[in-house]
Amino acid sequence: MPLNIDWQQILLHWMNLAILTGGLYFLLYKPVKDFMAKREAHYRSLDEEAAAKLAEAERIKAECQAKLDGADEEIRQMKARVQQAAQKSAEEQLAQAHGQARQIVAHAQAEAEHSRERVLKESQRELRKLAAQATRKLAFHADPFDQFLDLAEEGEEYEE
Amino acid sequence: MKHRKRGLVLWAAAVLVLLAGALLAGSPGRSENVQEAMRDAVLHSVNRISLFGLKEVNPGMISAFLVTGALLLAAAVVRLFVIPRFQYMPGRFQMVLEQAVGMFDGMARNSSPHRFRFVGAYIFAAGAFIFVGTLFELLGLQAVTVHGHPITLPAPLSDVNAAIAMGTLSYLVILSGGVAANGMKGVGRTLKEFSLPISMSFRLFGALLSGLLVTELVYYYVNLSFVLPVVVGVLFTLLHALIQTYVLTMLVSMYYGEVSEPAPKNKKIHTVQK
Repeated sequence: MPLNIDWQQILLHWMNLAILTGGLYFLLYKPVKDFMAKREAHYRSLDEEAAAKLAEAERIKAECQAKLDGADEEIRQMKARVQQAAQKSAEEQLAQAHGQARQIVAHAQAEAEHSRERVLKESQRELRKLAAQATRKLAFHADPFDQFLDLAEEGEEYEE
Repeated sequence: MKHRKRGLVLWAAAVLVLLAGALLAGSPGRSENVQEAMRDAVLHSVNRISLFGLKEVNPGMISAFLVTGALLLAAAVVRLFVIPRFQYMPGRFQMVLEQAVGMFDGMARNSSPHRFRFVGAYIFAAGAFIFVGTLFELLGLQAVTVHGHPITLPAPLSDVNAAIAMGTLSYLVILSGGVAANGMKGVGRTLKEFSLPISMSFRLFGALLSGLLVTELVYYYVNLSFVLPVVVGVLFTLLHALIQTYVLTMLVSMYYGEVSEPAPKNKKIHTVQK
C-alpha cells in the first residue's frame, strides 16, 4: 500500500480509540457531567426556592400595602366623621349661644322696659306730688310778693 | 547573596562542562542518514516495533496504546479518588476537569443542538487523545525496533495509519449521527461530504508529521540541538496539540450537527381555487 498504509493497524487504532472513548466516557466524562448536572439542579432548586420566597414576600408586601391603603382610607373616614361631629358640636354650641344671647337680650329688653315704666310711673307720681304741693301752696298761702313785703317790713323794725 | 553567586557560578560551570563534553564526545555514528531518517519518519518502513511478538507495527501504534493506557489510568485514578470528593465550590483541579468536560459538552451542544450526547463523548475522547498524544512526543520515550535500534516514540497521529483511523472513525461517527437522526436522508447528507475523512485524516497527519520532521531535523544535527528545540517544541508540539484538537473536534461536532439536524417537513400549500 502507498504510504505504508496498513488496514490491520488502522483497525487496531479504531479499537484503541473505541476503548479510549468508552473508557473516558464512563470514567471521566459521564461522572463529571453528572456532578455538574447535580450541582446545576441544586442551584436551580435553590434559585426556585428563592424565587418562591420572593414571590411570597411580594404577596405579603402587597397584602400589607392593601391593608395600609385600607387603613389610610379608614383613617380618612374617621377623620371626616370626627370633623363632622366637631362641626356639628360647634354648630350646636353656636346655636345654643345664639339662643342664650337672644334670651339675654330679651330679658334685658324686658328689664329695660320694666325700668322705664317704673321710672315713668315714679316721675309721673313725683310730678303729681309736686303739682299737688304747688296747688296746695297756691291755694293756702298769700301772695308771695306780699310775703316778701311783710318780711321786708319786719326786717326794718329789727334795724331800728 | 554569597550563596546565590556561588550557585550561579556552579550552574554556569556545569553548563559549560556539559557543552564541552557533548562537543568532545562526538556522535557514535549514525545508522541512517537524514534522508533515510525523514523517509522512515513518514513511511515507517524500517523502524518497526514488535507488538507482543504478534505483529510488527509502526512506532505510532505503540505510542497510541501508551497514550490510551495513560489516559485511562489517569481517568480511573480521577474517578476513584477525585470525583467522589467533588465540591459545589470547586477547587483548581476540579475546575480544570469541569472546564475540559464542559468545553467539549458545550461545543457539542452548540454545534449539534438536536443530538449532542454521543458526539460530546466522542469529541471529548478524540480531543484528549490528540492533545495528550501530541504532547507525548515531548517525553521522548525510547523503544527498541525489531532490528535492535533504539527509537524515540513519536506522536501517535504522526503515523499515517493513526491519522487515517482518526479521520475515518470521525466520519463514521458523523454518519452514525445522520443515520440516527434522519435515516437514509442522513446517510445521503453524510455521503455528500465524501472528502471529509480524507481531509480530516491528512490534515492531522500533515500537521503532526510536519512537527515530527522539523524536530527530527533539528535533533539530527548536534549544532542545532541547543536552545532551538525549545522554540521548535513550543511551535510544533504545544500549538499543534491545541490547534489540531480544536480543529478536529470542531469539525466533527459541526458536521455531526449538520447531518443530524431534522429535515424540514414539506408543508403542503393549499391553493384556493377561485
